[in-house]
Amino acid sequence: MGLKKLWLVIERDLRMFMQYKFMLIMRGIWFVSQVALFGLVVNKMVEVAAKDVGINYFQYYVAGVTIITLYSTSMFIGYDIFEEAEHGVFEYLLTLPVSRRELVLGRSIGGGLRSFVYIGPLLVVVLALLGILNPLNFLVALASLFLFAFGVSGMSITIAVAMKSGDKYDILIGVLDALIVRLSTTMYPSVYLQEAMPSYATIAKFNPLTYASDLFRWGTGVEGTIQISPLIGVLALFIFFFSFTFVGVLFYERRLEGGSWQ
Amino acid sequence: MKALNAILHVIEYDFRNFFKYRWFIIALLAMNLADLFISAVVFTQMTRGIVDYFTFFAPGLAVIGLFASAFMIGREINMEVRREVHHYLLSLPMARTELAIGRVLAGGLRGMLYMTPLLITNFILLGLPTAPQLFIILLTLFLLAIGISGVSISIAVSTTSFEKFVTARGVVYYMFFFCSSVFYPITMITPTLEAKGLAPLATFAQINPLTNGSDLIRSFLLGTPAFSSLMLLDVAIFSVIFALCATFAYAKILMRQ
Repeated sequence: MGLKKLWLVIERDLRMFMQYKFMLIMRGIWFVSQVALFGLVVNKMVEVAAKDVGINYFQYYVAGVTIITLYSTSMFIGYDIFEEAEHGVFEYLLTLPVSRRELVLGRSIGGGLRSFVYIGPLLVVVLALLGILNPLNFLVALASLFLFAFGVSGMSITIAVAMKSGDKYDILIGVLDALIVRLSTTMYPSVYLQEAMPSYATIAKFNPLTYASDLFRWGTGVEGTIQISPLIGVLALFIFFFSFTFVGVLFYERRLEGGSWQ
Repeated sequence: MKALNAILHVIEYDFRNFFKYRWFIIALLAMNLADLFISAVVFTQMTRGIVDYFTFFAPGLAVIGLFASAFMIGREINMEVRREVHHYLLSLPMARTELAIGRVLAGGLRGMLYMTPLLITNFILLGLPTAPQLFIILLTLFLLAIGISGVSISIAVSTTSFEKFVTARGVVYYMFFFCSSVFYPITMITPTLEAKGLAPLATFAQINPLTNGSDLIRSFLLGTPAFSSLMLLDVAIFSVIFALCATFAYAKILMRQ
């Protein structure tokens, strides 16, 4: 497998990401309003409950919103792939002197990498708010977030390739977004999920957003938040990454042959 | 009569367009219901002793749904301006003002249609209002929807760039949502924002029509905050200002082309 060719595919996806500049600005506005308005006011509203479980809710929420942003930007790659299939760009891509595997793997890596490029500046702001208590923990958390971003990107590619109807794709992504974010610990500690509805807490335990947000909080030293061992968290994200990146890649590769995406 | 027929045709045209987005609407509805039946249920546990968040949030959700769906008209109008569909619209046998009024009304009515199941959910969960209360709720929400449609159209015709429209829409959307009592009581917003040196935002939250719209529903269904005719007045002023702005701006942009 040629690394140079792989890089060319990644670079193309990074460049394509810049086409979404205004969508990205809108995401940025969403992030700022979530932190500076929603986060502040809800922090006041849940002060007592947060104290009960020993957390600073504002910090807890800021870390969660960062993971939601990483998730949503990693999902963008699916829209690109769907658009390409609809507009006949797939045919062009297949004529390039790049193997199917390089093309597919490059897209998956590019999808994850570009979301990191996007959240880079946001991450600086978040770290200024949260601080880093233990640099080693932070590096482990950051590495896990890479696994998470590549995994989400792979998941997005798998869904985009499996769907033939734009309508079905839109609704599935919309419903998935609605459920995956809310049924995780990005916005609230698992103890309250459990109290509200035990089934919600059970689903959250299998949700990659739960592991990503808990690990990120652990990495930045937000207190009293991690309910699982960091090792299990990293392992869960690795399984998520492996399943969707490699299974997604194989699936995408197979679908490319014979024009079955049409 | 002829003018009314023309306006009705424009409304019908916009309703047909609305149903083209049925998948998007279903996804939006799923997101709204997930907000209520997942997030609000969990936040209820976290706000015990302060507010019953589930019942507090339900009226806010109806207003969120109304806002998001009434705002969709702006996206379509911005696309028409960019793709010059207005040449076709101008060839239709109706006055420009009729066309403009029809678009503003259609945006609002689409919002009302989308919001209806969410409002019914409120009635099922929180109880039924009396007939006069129901009338006031529907009137307020209709005025709110017209005002939102007006804001959206005003933004849509002020730029031919989709990117600029999307950015402006984002700012307006989140300002209206997060600086309102849709998600949290106004009694929480004012001291928190003032303590952080964001007093202008706290003032905006108090006059925000989304605050007054959702608080008006709460006043009838939950009994708190107390109903005040100023709530209706606030929404009515917002509605008149932006419906007029949108009508004139839309008619003007058609003439300029």
